[in-house]
Amino acid sequence: MLVDAKLPFDELDDLVKRTQQGDQVAFAALYEQCHRRVYALCLRLLADQAHAEDACQEVFVQLWHKIAQFNGQSKFTTWLHSVTSNIAISYLRKYKNWLQKVVSFENSGMDEASIALCGDLNGLDKLVLRLPERARLVFVLHAVEGYRHEEIAAMLDMAVGSSKSQYHRAKKLLQEWYEND
Amino acid sequence: MIKPNFDEFLSQQVAKTQEQVQQPEPQRALWQGIEKAINEQPMSDSEPQNNPAGVWRQVSAIAAATCIGMCVMYFTLSTPEQNNMMQMSQYFEQQKQILLVQYGNQPALTNDWQVQLQELEEAEQAIKLALQNDPQNAALLQMLAQVYQQQLDLIERVHQPRWQEI
Repeated sequence: MLVDAKLPFDELDDLVKRTQQGDQVAFAALYEQCHRRVYALCLRLLADQAHAEDACQEVFVQLWHKIAQFNGQSKFTTWLHSVTSNIAISYLRKYKNWLQKVVSFENSGMDEASIALCGDLNGLDKLVLRLPERARLVFVLHAVEGYRHEEIAAMLDMAVGSSKSQYHRAKKLLQEWYEND
Repeated sequence: MIKPNFDEFLSQQVAKTQEQVQQPEPQRALWQGIEKAINEQPMSDSEPQNNPAGVWRQVSAIAAATCIGMCVMYFTLSTPEQNNMMQMSQYFEQQKQILLVQYGNQPALTNDWQVQLQELEEAEQAIKLALQNDPQNAALLQMLAQVYQQQLDLIERVHQPRWQEI
């Protein structure tokens, strides 16, 4: 599962505790340590650079207000990924354009030119960003973030069977693109 | 070098992703906006009344939303003879120009908002084209009104970000 940020656990834990006490310097250091992972997850889920940046800001603003709710029962980064996933999914619903809402057609994912502008992406991310929206969301949440299909179905308001079929659809597309690359 | 098979590739890449080995960096500086947002005092009920620009924006947003709603009602409920795409287009074009002038000197939150606006304008043109063949189609008129509303919302949204960087 998820591995902690680059700082040793004790130091990250210390930053979290200090942030919980209202220390903004510690929060800035926490941002410095964690913003890339938050942005990367937002980008994977939203497949839009500008929206991912907005959502990343929203995550940290909400984190500042909600960090007191983190009780240390799980790893901080696991909790952070969960907060990020939920905010990114809410963001996606909020800014779905009118045509998608009216005609309910699916966002087709990023084109290669836009992906090239996203900077330092690994091979999988380059392919994931090309996936259609529902397949991408399910793949990222299941394969990368480790959610079960039952959890994903609840998060995305879809049937468990749909989550499984979207996952297989995503894998098939990724395999096709990988092998033809 | 031999290309690994897909399953190997997938498991290696997922592991790398989880280990945060290679992460993209946001291209915009995000911290300043976050810092500004967390240091903002919670907005009191009376605060917008003390800010003339805020009041104006709220009033214009409410007025625009109300007018759009009334237009949708009008074009939905009116008789076919009364339907007039041109009138609606003229009205919304005026509203759009007012907003564009109002926000002309303000920085926008995203760089691609004009591309998004252009996409909506293309949708507007497509609906207008369809209306030429079926000018009394209430569903198309409603869609046109919605596209106009989306354009106004977009212009408002990108110029009034909550956590835009300083």
